Amino acid sequence: MNNILKYLRKGELALFIIFLIVFIIFSFSSEYFFTLRNIMNVSGQLSIILIAAIGFSVLLIAGEVDISIGSLLAFVSLPLIEIMNITGSVPLGIILCLIFGIIIGLINGYLSVYLGVSSLIVTLGMLFILRGAVYLYTGQRAIPDELMSDFFFYIGNGKFMGTIPYAAIIGLVILLIFIFVMRNTSYGRKLYAVGGNQEVARLAGYNIKLLKLSAFVICSFLSSISAIILASRIGSANHVAGDLFEFQVVAAVVLGGVSLAGGIGSLTGAAIGVLILSVISNGLGLLNIDTQWQLVVNGVIIIIAVGFDELKRNR
Amino acid sequence: MKYFQTNESILFGLLVLLCIFLSFYNPQFYSIQNIHSILRSSSTVMIVAFGMTILLTSGEVDLSVGALMSFVTVIVMDVINITGSISLGLIAVFGFCLLIGLINGLVRTVLNVNSLIATLAMMLILQGSVYVYSMAAIYNTHLIPLFSFIGQGFFLNIPMPVVIMLFILPFFVVLLNYTRYGRYFSSIGSNPDAAKLSGINNNRYKVLGFVITSLLVGVSGVILASLMDTGQQGSAKGFELIVIAAVLLGGTSFMGGKGTIIGTILGILILKIIDNGIILMRIPQEFQLIVPGFILILAVYFDGIRKKNSG
Repeated sequence: MNNILKYLRKGELALFIIFLIVFIIFSFSSEYFFTLRNIMNVSGQLSIILIAAIGFSVLLIAGEVDISIGSLLAFVSLPLIEIMNITGSVPLGIILCLIFGIIIGLINGYLSVYLGVSSLIVTLGMLFILRGAVYLYTGQRAIPDELMSDFFFYIGNGKFMGTIPYAAIIGLVILLIFIFVMRNTSYGRKLYAVGGNQEVARLAGYNIKLLKLSAFVICSFLSSISAIILASRIGSANHVAGDLFEFQVVAAVVLGGVSLAGGIGSLTGAAIGVLILSVISNGLGLLNIDTQWQLVVNGVIIIIAVGFDELKRNR
Repeated sequence: MKYFQTNESILFGLLVLLCIFLSFYNPQFYSIQNIHSILRSSSTVMIVAFGMTILLTSGEVDLSVGALMSFVTVIVMDVINITGSISLGLIAVFGFCLLIGLINGLVRTVLNVNSLIATLAMMLILQGSVYVYSMAAIYNTHLIPLFSFIGQGFFLNIPMPVVIMLFILPFFVVLLNYTRYGRYFSSIGSNPDAAKLSGINNNRYKVLGFVITSLLVGVSGVILASLMDTGQQGSAKGFELIVIAAVLLGGTSFMGGKGTIIGTILGILILKIIDNGIILMRIPQEFQLIVPGFILILAVYFDGIRKKNSG
């Protein structure tokens, strides 16, 4: 137990307790909630948000932001599905999808870091451009996956040993890798330094521009992986996929204690933020509470959580 | 001319070029109907953008304006349907907007939550609760002519939304340019500590900024309801992004500290005329999303270059 506690810092511990409370409340109020089936279901669903949230946190920690990830989700699933349909090769589609993601990350990063346009504005523009491009290409219809490959279907829907969703495993592996990178490698510490105090990072001789650019690429790359899982789950490249996705991710990550000001926060916290919001939406769904109330509850929780965090910090 | 700073002259030049280009391309551009439709759709954006300019100038932002505006269309239609009184409908709307603006402002100042997050949360709350209020769109069953006049009518051959916008405009030009309050907002945005030390109550002005913005959303929402003749739960979805894009294009900085109403107006006109041009030139409508995206990035990029060159 001590070993686990060691890894949770104070703020994360508080979050984890909130998570436990939510979990216990739902376990008592719905008989379906605390079943293996449901918990595995949730873990598969939340991995889409979790993977993108990891990339988003890395970028926030480096002091930049990317609100185009929702549109990116829809955009990169086009090459994925189209290439699969045309060539009949799943790996080719996945590779192309990831390459597109990386290119968009490079563009976002280049415009923000090297040309000096605020990343909020660059990615706001990119949000419009990518969504418009998706509408234009698809004619506002979903493009179905005609290949029907088992492998592709399993990415989002399959379960390891019939219980653990592959999507959850992918999410967990990525999470562990990036927790290690951010915590134990000099690259991760440099990202914290760049986001926390750019001037100090510059004086320490870090290549700030390259570090930030890499964070943009990580964010877009991981969002593309989310896109692949989502496309597999819905079996198509959907033109409205990822609508409001950026807001969901921001909410979860900030709830998890990652600061919008840069340099503060951890991936563990961000992951717990994703857990809390996903469990709440699942639990409310099981209690037959309408989706509109879920929005209200999410909004209130974000305000309370972030508000308490600020009050604590100021004391 | 002294109000035209460099950025605004560039925007104005861009606007003139756009108009000339479009009129060569399609003479219909200068038809009365077309100009009316551009101005009408610009004015709902402008009214909200006046408030957003003040907020951004003071270093804050409000993402909940789109969700609030949709909610307003539902409330105004429903209350007038039930009571048959426009004044009661307006009282309900502005009471509600006042409340939301106050909550946004207090969450920002008392709980000290970053306004991007506070208003994002408010957006979720409003988007959800509007369906709690009513699941179905609310149609105009009261058929009061005066209500339709607000959005669809004309005064001296000028569309009413434009008249309303022109009525509100002077207050904000005077507020930002000629009163100390305008300078308070920009000093709070550019240097909050200095503002506090010189005796300005930062929090009071920030709350005021949120309340003003919400009330303006109320005005635009009523106009929108009258234009559509319905109250729809998702009618102004994504509106916040258009308003913010236009204000940023107009030269207001996201980091607070500077902003002008004239720049904002030019920014909106440019975006709306591009919208209109895309329809007139029979280009696929999807470009209505793509082109503004490019323009936004370019405008801010050139603004950055110019600032660098001037020192």
